[in-house]
Amino acid sequence: MRLWKDFVRGLWGENPTFRLLIGLCPTLAVTTSAINGMSMGLATAFVLLCSSALISLLKNVIPAKVRIPAYIIVIATFVTIVDLVMNAYMPDLHQVLGLFIPLIVVNCIVLGRAEAFASKNSVIASAFDGLGMGLGFTWALTLLGAIREVFGAGSIFGYSFVAEGATTLGIMALPPGAFITLGILLAVMNMIAARQKKKTS
Amino acid sequence: MVVVLAVIAMVSAGILSVVYGTTSVIIEENAARALESSVYDVLPSATRVDIIRRSPDEHGVDDPKEMREQEQRTTLIYQGINEQDQVIGYAFVGEANGYGGVIRVLVGVDEASDQILNIKVLEHTETPGLGSRIEDESFRNRFVGKTIEDPIAINQDIDNISGATVSSRAVADAVRKGFVETSSLYRGGE
Repeated sequence: MRLWKDFVRGLWGENPTFRLLIGLCPTLAVTTSAINGMSMGLATAFVLLCSSALISLLKNVIPAKVRIPAYIIVIATFVTIVDLVMNAYMPDLHQVLGLFIPLIVVNCIVLGRAEAFASKNSVIASAFDGLGMGLGFTWALTLLGAIREVFGAGSIFGYSFVAEGATTLGIMALPPGAFITLGILLAVMNMIAARQKKKTS
Repeated sequence: MVVVLAVIAMVSAGILSVVYGTTSVIIEENAARALESSVYDVLPSATRVDIIRRSPDEHGVDDPKEMREQEQRTTLIYQGINEQDQVIGYAFVGEANGYGGVIRVLVGVDEASDQILNIKVLEHTETPGLGSRIEDESFRNRFVGKTIEDPIAINQDIDNISGATVSSRAVADAVRKGFVETSSLYRGGE
């Protein structure tokens, strides 16, 4: 039950993108299509899961004074592994996500979870927390990417549903589209949260 | 404290060197295969592709530093060969700076007529939705049939994409520069 709570928290109540508003750089930059958003989310989720579990495992070995550099080395190692493996086995995807994969190292969600959760909790709890946060990040990015792809390119997960050469809302594929979509989504999320609160109280 | 950090860093370096060792081979193969398959795109009737290296000064150089420099100046030309073992055309890579970074274009040229058969944008970081339209067939087709005698320049014989003048110009520059560079090497060496 407790583990389930650790897992679900990242998906909704403390969703990094929609509730905590952290890790917004990749959120805004790579969500030009649903598949890009999902891949970035899954890459981050993998790093979160592995680094949270390992940091939790090492929490008694790492002295408090050097914990931040130690965490960063652990995180950077997993990110580099993701980067290399993706480049080798998914070159097309790697070309699109390119620069943003190494930047997972400085994604504050990853270090944030290491510092706030993994360094104080058991390995299993940390793994569930990392997975929950990662998947929460993934669905947020996928939704954002899907909306931008539908309006910006007239397709969903690469399957086009408009006529060839049809005019689409190009702005949705550009950075302003990311801000507009995120703003609207945040408003909707706040509305739902406010309604839930009213019901419970 | 220092020891712990050093041990973590060492373990990390060890793991990464293993991962790098196994993946780097595949990464290089992927890159080479991707480029080769692109050559077939711009030389549709080729069944086999040969790589020719042409450097501006191909005398025996022994000094390793000079050899490296020469390697960098070497232009790779891809020769398309058909089933009858005849050379049907050649392909080369041209580069120019676009709006968001370097644009690399692969150009296929017909052996007999010296006309461009097709071009393909290999690499670009242009604005999605605007500059990225340089990848579209309708734009790439504007280069088909051009020869080394043509200006291959925006507003002269190539129409630009509205809203993406810089990207369009960069592609034209890349095609022209690559054409001029390799044409002299290719034709000169025959």
